[in-house]
Amino acid sequence: MKRNLITIIIGVVLVVIFLLLLFVFQVRQSEVAVVTTFGKPTAAPITEPGAYFKWPWPVQKIYKFDKRVQNFEDKFSENLTADNNPLLTSVYVGWRISDGGTFLRVFRDGSVSAAQQRLEGMLRSTKNAVVGRHPLADFVNANPQGLKFDAIEREIQDAVQSELSTNDYGIRLEFLGFKRIGLPPSVSDAVFERMKSERQLQISTTENTGKRDAQIIESTADRQAAETLANANATAIRIRALGEAEAGSSLHEFEQNPDLAIFLWRIDALKQSLNQKSTLIFDERTPPFDLFRNLPTNSVSP
Amino acid sequence: MSHDHDHHDHDHAQPAPETQDAGSQALAEALRSSFAIVKIVMVLMVVAFFASGFFQVGPAERAVILRFGKPVGIGQKALLNAGLHWSFPYPIDDVVKIPITESQKVRSTTGWWFTTPEQELTGDDQTASGSLNPAVDGYVLTADRNIIHVRATIYYHIDDPIRAVFGFAGGTNSGFNLAGVSNAVQNALDNALLFTAAKFNVDDILHNRQNEFIEDVQQRVSDLAEQWQLGISVDSCEIPDKKPPRQLKDVFDRVITAVQNRSKLLNDAHSYENSVTNAASAQAAAITNEAATASANYVKYAQADAKRFNDLLPQYQTNAQLFVQFYVAQTMAQVLTNVEKWVQPTSDNGKSTELRLELNREPPAPKNAAAP
Repeated sequence: MKRNLITIIIGVVLVVIFLLLLFVFQVRQSEVAVVTTFGKPTAAPITEPGAYFKWPWPVQKIYKFDKRVQNFEDKFSENLTADNNPLLTSVYVGWRISDGGTFLRVFRDGSVSAAQQRLEGMLRSTKNAVVGRHPLADFVNANPQGLKFDAIEREIQDAVQSELSTNDYGIRLEFLGFKRIGLPPSVSDAVFERMKSERQLQISTTENTGKRDAQIIESTADRQAAETLANANATAIRIRALGEAEAGSSLHEFEQNPDLAIFLWRIDALKQSLNQKSTLIFDERTPPFDLFRNLPTNSVSP
Repeated sequence: MSHDHDHHDHDHAQPAPETQDAGSQALAEALRSSFAIVKIVMVLMVVAFFASGFFQVGPAERAVILRFGKPVGIGQKALLNAGLHWSFPYPIDDVVKIPITESQKVRSTTGWWFTTPEQELTGDDQTASGSLNPAVDGYVLTADRNIIHVRATIYYHIDDPIRAVFGFAGGTNSGFNLAGVSNAVQNALDNALLFTAAKFNVDDILHNRQNEFIEDVQQRVSDLAEQWQLGISVDSCEIPDKKPPRQLKDVFDRVITAVQNRSKLLNDAHSYENSVTNAASAQAAAITNEAATASANYVKYAQADAKRFNDLLPQYQTNAQLFVQFYVAQTMAQVLTNVEKWVQPTSDNGKSTELRLELNREPPAPKNAAAP
């Protein structure tokens, strides 16, 4: 009895597992599943991950696709811009399978590399057309209004996307952008020459403006110094004049007796003129030496 | 399995059946014991089934459990840290281990010239070699259509692990890793360098607005990451290498020298300016101070003069003649002590004698010999 029970349990478990394997399938986070009933796609593709019910083969069949974004970049290729500059570009795209059923039909075995080959061809022609519509100034420009970098990328993406939709490849572009931009060697050599001459111009400009500015600074300094001194001298004269004016106010004192005043000033002048090393030559008659005149000796030397 | 055991034991029990009773008894015995074994095996199997759900997450990785293909937990919570964990065994749960570190980084070298790893190590990659080969030598075009080389590194962390891990294909179909998303970040960085360089002039990138350039690159990567829903956020951006083409190194270096020379020239001019203007200010102060002193002295002198006059006036008024004589004599005595004197005798006949002097003007004495 006990044995039977266990056997039954085991049997039931085995049957349940078997049935689960037959009737249930999993869709992983990264996948999208398409269920076909007798080869015909049933309902919408399943994009939410989880466990789902199905009728066992041969009634329903499950196709699973990677819905993850695939990174892809095309070859570095040369195109002419609108103003006839050759430009090498390479873009990357993030694309994913948007419609598994269609994708499976278009590309054998749902081959990702086959899809990328197709994508590369499309990119080549689209890039050629879009780059040809823009002058080089749209690619590089210091003026934010002039720079159409983003717009060009969007233009390529939109063109490729619309071609993908029209031809119904079951592919969706998630994003697209330039990965590399370059110039053919002959052009880059010409750019080097131009850069060189620009640098040389910069060198001479730098040197000359340096000299000029230095001279301006120095001569301005000289002028300022001269101005400062001139101002100082003017101030000095004014100060002296003020002093003299003030001194002049004491002149009226002397009016009491001009004779004495003049006498005193002459004495002062004499004192001042003789306070340095000087030699005076006197006549004997000059006082006080006239005292010697009537003495026996005729000449006196100091 | 259980049947296998059963038959096996049964076969062993067969060789010595003497009576039906003994035989059936032995059979029952064997069945019972084999049944016990079966039970143990089953228990072991169940234990093994659940034990197989244990798994270990290493220190440099995280894990996500997919239950029926759907991640358990949302956002960062879906990530299991290092340690021992348990999940239902396959096919209910599926454990995906991902090598995630706290901070991821990618480096862009599409804007750099061709280098081999050996050159990279020795740093011996500076020599110019003719034209640039666009196939291998990378560079970016600046707004003023110059060519320069840049190399950048971006550091980021995963914000939304589910999106980052399961949203981008990286290599194999079944395996999950960060190769896909890091490839996308790499593309974003390559693009950001091209895009940002196209907005800046060459001197701004190399010298004048370096930080702005780096910020713009980082901003562009962040924008693209958001636009493409990469599930990451950018932590920082480094652009350690920015160089003009090696072919033009010489002329670019000369610009730097010229700029340095100019600033030296200007510095010299400024120091000249300093010294000249300061000297002038000092001299100006000296002049005005001197004038002020002189003026003050003049006033004082005038006042002193007036005072002396007033003091002497009464004496003078008493006897002018005497005062003058006295004063002159006193002054003479005072003055003549310091003076070299010649007294020239007059001749008897009253005529003046001739006196010739040789004046030596050579030493610049303030006052020279004077005759009254």
